[in-house]
Amino acid sequence: MSSISGIESVPSKPLVTASQLSVALPVLAVLLASAIFAAFVALYGQNPATVFGLIVQGGFGSSFAWQDTLSRAAPLVLVGLAVAIPAQAGLVIIGGEGALVLGGLAGAVVTLPFAGAHALPMQLLMLLAGGLIGGLWFGLAGVLRQFRGVNETISSLLLSYIGIAVFHHLTEGMLRDPASLDKPSTHPIDPSYMLPTLPGVGVHAGLAVSLLLAIAAHVVLRYTRWGFALRVVGGSARVARMIGLAVNRWIIGASVVAGGMAGIAGAIEVAAVQGTANSSLIVGYGYSGILVAFLARHQPLAIVAVALLIGGMQASASLLQRRLGLPDATMLVFQGLIFICVLVADAIAQQLRETTRR
Amino acid sequence: MSVPQVELKNMTKRFGANLALNNVSLLIGSGTVHALLGENGAGKSTLVKCLVGFYHPDEGHIQVDGREHRLNSPKDADALGIGMVYQHFTLVPSMTVAQNLVVSGARLPAYINWQSELRRLGEVTRKLPFHVPLDVRVSQLSAGEKQKAEIVKQLYLGRKLLILDEPTSVLTPAEADEVLGHVRSLARTGELSAILISHKFHEVRRFADDVTVLRRGASVRTGAVADLTDDALAEAMIGEPVSKMVQHAPKSQPKSDIVLSISDLRVNGDNGLPAVKDLSLEVRAGEIVGIAGVSGNGQLELVEALMGQRDRSGTMTVSGSSFNGTRQEIARLGVYGLPQEPLKNACVDRMSLAENLALRNFDRVPLCRGIAMNYGALADQAERLVAQFRVKAPGLNASMSALSGGNVQRAVLARELTQDVRLLVASNPTFGLDFVACEETYRRILEARNGGAAVLLISEDLDELLGLVDRVLVMSAGRIVHEVSAEGADKRVIGKYMAGLKAA
Amino acid sequence: MDAASIGWLALPLAILGGAIRVSTPFIFVSIGELITEKSGRINLGLEGTLMLGAMAGYAISYLSGSPWLGVLSAGLAGMAFGLLHGLLCSVKRVNDTAIGISLIVLGTGLAFFLGKPLIEPKAPPLPSIALGFWSSVPQVRAALDVNALFFVGIALAFAVYVFLNRTGWGLMLRTVGDSEDAARALGFPVLRVRIVATMAGGFLAGIGGSFLSLSYPGSWSEGLSSGQGIMAVALVIFARWRSINALGASLLFGGAGALGPALQGVGVTGYYYLFNAAPYILTLAIMVASTSRAAPFADAPGELKLHR
Repeated sequence: MSSISGIESVPSKPLVTASQLSVALPVLAVLLASAIFAAFVALYGQNPATVFGLIVQGGFGSSFAWQDTLSRAAPLVLVGLAVAIPAQAGLVIIGGEGALVLGGLAGAVVTLPFAGAHALPMQLLMLLAGGLIGGLWFGLAGVLRQFRGVNETISSLLLSYIGIAVFHHLTEGMLRDPASLDKPSTHPIDPSYMLPTLPGVGVHAGLAVSLLLAIAAHVVLRYTRWGFALRVVGGSARVARMIGLAVNRWIIGASVVAGGMAGIAGAIEVAAVQGTANSSLIVGYGYSGILVAFLARHQPLAIVAVALLIGGMQASASLLQRRLGLPDATMLVFQGLIFICVLVADAIAQQLRETTRR
Repeated sequence: MSVPQVELKNMTKRFGANLALNNVSLLIGSGTVHALLGENGAGKSTLVKCLVGFYHPDEGHIQVDGREHRLNSPKDADALGIGMVYQHFTLVPSMTVAQNLVVSGARLPAYINWQSELRRLGEVTRKLPFHVPLDVRVSQLSAGEKQKAEIVKQLYLGRKLLILDEPTSVLTPAEADEVLGHVRSLARTGELSAILISHKFHEVRRFADDVTVLRRGASVRTGAVADLTDDALAEAMIGEPVSKMVQHAPKSQPKSDIVLSISDLRVNGDNGLPAVKDLSLEVRAGEIVGIAGVSGNGQLELVEALMGQRDRSGTMTVSGSSFNGTRQEIARLGVYGLPQEPLKNACVDRMSLAENLALRNFDRVPLCRGIAMNYGALADQAERLVAQFRVKAPGLNASMSALSGGNVQRAVLARELTQDVRLLVASNPTFGLDFVACEETYRRILEARNGGAAVLLISEDLDELLGLVDRVLVMSAGRIVHEVSAEGADKRVIGKYMAGLKAA
Repeated sequence: MDAASIGWLALPLAILGGAIRVSTPFIFVSIGELITEKSGRINLGLEGTLMLGAMAGYAISYLSGSPWLGVLSAGLAGMAFGLLHGLLCSVKRVNDTAIGISLIVLGTGLAFFLGKPLIEPKAPPLPSIALGFWSSVPQVRAALDVNALFFVGIALAFAVYVFLNRTGWGLMLRTVGDSEDAARALGFPVLRVRIVATMAGGFLAGIGGSFLSLSYPGSWSEGLSSGQGIMAVALVIFARWRSINALGASLLFGGAGALGPALQGVGVTGYYYLFNAAPYILTLAIMVASTSRAAPFADAPGELKLHR
């Protein structure tokens, strides 16, 4: 008797294996979405080939395009993680926008009292402040879910709107720089505190921060007992309680970490791009994060790849507008189509896996 | 419409490669009760689902009074007067009984004038043997009342062939007698015929005229109940001569030390109302204490509170230390469990078999050092347990839902009982399992007991319970209402306490 | 009597007028969501439907000259999106929360894309009924200048109540939403009922959207909606899945939403943004107060996978 005598081989070999399917179906889904999108722009009187050419060119066609794409991808990675980490614990938290803008605001004001300090501690302080505020904001959704049974999806969205209102209230009131006339903003941060540009890449250091955090998330989820415990909690809270895991703490902890990611994204936008907190921060990162996380099936490393793709698509929007007069929303339509097709493909893949098992 | 004779002829049904029904024929005479016996997965529900139009047989046909009919949907069965009472009730919980009756009618009314409708329903149901309040929400009815309401619904709809799927599993013995007694007398008076799906021989014997035994999709025995002995039925069901179900291990004198002690336990149910009320009990090392009761009397909440899955008040100690279900306490005090429906309640479906086998010790050496997991050690452990407990699976990385019910149970037994068990809480551990897996579960539980563990066994199956335990507690309406040692137990007395007819 | 003499009364009047105005889209979207949820599905994508309806309504009103034709087209556009949601969620194992969000992205994307040329032109707005004709006070007249759709919404709430409680189809819808097993045992076409219910929900949400662009101030812009579609989901929970409650809740939320502008109107500007967030804060507070950990959403349709 061999040591794995209990293991039976699968009786019949399916035509395609599950792993082949899980790669092929999303690719097919993106192709289908592209085809629908091509028909859509053709209806609008544009040549689809030209449009796709410009998307590639605008997103990935030159070093300038790459810089634009990469600097857009940096916050997308983080807002993607902000959805994916709680998703591992079985939570659908989708109000990343609120945590992001409040994190940005915290980052923008936290260094104001300190003039002439060293740059590095100030930069870390900004990221820390952003992460802390964002974490607290999402943590609230986790607390409400655990202790009051409030659905976290809805509460996080409501908190997002409230967060944005608080942001407006503060940036246009107490924290407003009187010199900012047409666009109410906070006092600009000391230019020497701005995040540096990565040598050789031409993109701000926020990209490195988000990549590091994505890798860290991957390692923790995959190779530590924390990741294991989180997956148990997300897979079945009942079983997690049975084996003695403190589900409350894991749920709230995951929310706080996720909010921290969104908050850091906001702080990076302020400390690397805007230099101040104003309404330019509110550009729909919340929804983009959901898109990125779901397309990447909540896997941190896949999030990096998807964020690059989405970042590239968003970067190409201005080129489409300049060359073809297509509105910004063109890319929103494309993203929506991809999102839908991939979700359906995922569901079908799951069904196929289940039927091949039987 | 008189009561028809219904005949199923040469029914065969395949699901993929799996032959669920193999050339099964069944004759239900007019005005008779026909029992269907068989283990889980023997094809009983597939057969009756063909009869109510859910499934279409690949071969074979259905004759009603000699005429062949093709049933494409429940509506077609409805038109022939065939109706089914499901094990999981199909009344809509948030609607009243009256609303349920109206919505189940063959034609949906466009506009409902409730005043005249209630009057009409009142007149119709007055002639029926049961009385069920019409304007009460179904969610507020007891299990027995729901069962009656289901049957009232079928009779209201003028059904002539009634299919009852394990109807007594949620009833007290007295309620079961009442409900089945009515069905039998309705059959005697020629109001209807019935198919009774069951696995309880005494029910079949008392209430059915004919019986058909199914095994692995085939009809292996059929005839008048009076002509068949219990042993013959059991042999037909499991396919081999039966020895006595479980060899009751020689009772070891329970040691004196109390392992589990609960006092004044109070637990709320999902609806926020108290489900367990001031409950106290003790379990000693080396004994099995059984809790009998009709489902829904607080057993589920009790188990969940013991396993740390539900908030509670009152004290619970294990071997003298207070127990709150943290990981440290579980490991130190040796508290493990065998929940019912292990796939749902003891496994994480998203995770692999190997990972599920590690749920109890994933954070301890050798599976984990510091915070880093050692997946090699995790796979080694899984391989060992799979071999030792003969778990059959497509692979160690298979997800749990790829395993059969018996193998899921073996995996859970492997995980829970290879720990240092000092208290085992088992809740309907054989619910839905096949004969072999049941036997194995019983054997492992007895082994744990003989090894000195204290076992608390909660079961809705009184026969199973009396075959295993040393002491029986009866739970009704959230309280322990009766206690008796296994030798002195009288099923009828226990049944009365289960029904809440006698107070403690 | 002149404007100045009504003094502090100006504030409640402004809130009343604002409540009626702000609540109208809420009534439509929340009752639409209620119908969908009664069938056992949740449509989180009504925000996108709302924007699409606002755009379509405005476009057709502009092109045809008839605002009512615009309202109808908005409803039809919403219905098409409802159909899409209904079909997509009929695929087994699909994540309906995620589908809802993807429809928000697609709906807003389409609305912004197709609505780009509509920012300049002026479409004929919906008529309003001057219930304040008896008064000479301009604030009273302004507050009681009520849009016709508001009355349609009130009638709708009662109609849906009758539908759900006193018609066979209403009971069928509730059966499907409450217990799929029961519905199947009765031979009801579960998927079809759910798809139709989602279409009905989309139709009403589209109409709610048309109100945003075709009533005061009567223009199309990308900032028209401020999350009413999302709020509707919370509002239905608050209303315990009852249409008359949903009407009341919409009025309450409308009042909360009117607070900021009304205060601004009487010169209190300090907390404008925070008052604007009042509906969200109110929703959250109500959800915290009205749910409990032990029994989340006890009244929810049984098939609704809103919790766990």
